[in-house]
Amino acid sequence: MSSEVSSDNPIYGPFFGVMGAASAIIFSALGAAYGTAKSGTGIAAMSVMRPELIMKSIIPVVMAGIIAIYGLVVAVLIAGALEEPSKYTLFRGFIHLGAGLAVGFSGLAAGFAIGIVGDAGVRGTAQQPRLFVGMILILIFAEVLGLYGLIVAIYLYTK
Amino acid sequence: MSNKNKKSGGAGNGAAQKQTRQQSHDSQDYSSFKIVLFYCMLIVFLPVVTFFLLKGFVLDRFFSLSEVKVNIASAVGAVVSLHIALGLYIYRAYFGATGSKAVKED
Repeated sequence: MSSEVSSDNPIYGPFFGVMGAASAIIFSALGAAYGTAKSGTGIAAMSVMRPELIMKSIIPVVMAGIIAIYGLVVAVLIAGALEEPSKYTLFRGFIHLGAGLAVGFSGLAAGFAIGIVGDAGVRGTAQQPRLFVGMILILIFAEVLGLYGLIVAIYLYTK
Repeated sequence: MSNKNKKSGGAGNGAAQKQTRQQSHDSQDYSSFKIVLFYCMLIVFLPVVTFFLLKGFVLDRFFSLSEVKVNIASAVGAVVSLHIALGLYIYRAYFGATGSKAVKED
């Protein structure tokens, strides 16, 4: 195996791919955890007075969970493409690292946005139910940030 | 629990009414919990199942596709199915919640 190692297929090539897969799921999970926790405190505070709104107010938590699924999809894609150093060029390692970082940091940002918007939106919906449509729209725009990261990651993965 | 029993012994009709109201609240909570649990399970497991099913199925049916294309197709399919499930949940939460409110007012 070590005899096939060249400057294009160095022994440390897969390191970048592994780091890409790991950072995809780690940062997405960070964002999803922040979004779940932040909007969860809002739901807990709101449900004391308006328990019938639970079903509506779970939506930010679900959307934060979806961010983690984006990271999971990319991490599984990258992990499926990893091979031993002799068949894995350094270029593919860089591509996979870039794909993982793209979806990871986009997921982190989207998770932060969903957490903050979910907290304030759920508390506001308890006072004024017509805010619900606005909250959903803002949450969708926050969610789409993670989706952009996923699109770039998949596009990078096809290179 | 023992406190509640004492109250029902003393107040009679009012406490029984309170208990039936409590039961209706409980059943309402249970039904909404079932709905939320169903949709959450759908959103969590549908994309994962779709990803691996699509990967196996597409690989079986179309061998001409390369490995990368099969992976991309299954990833896109998983994300699309995820968003369909999310859209169903938001639809249910938006239009179903008004129905449950009306039930509560009865």
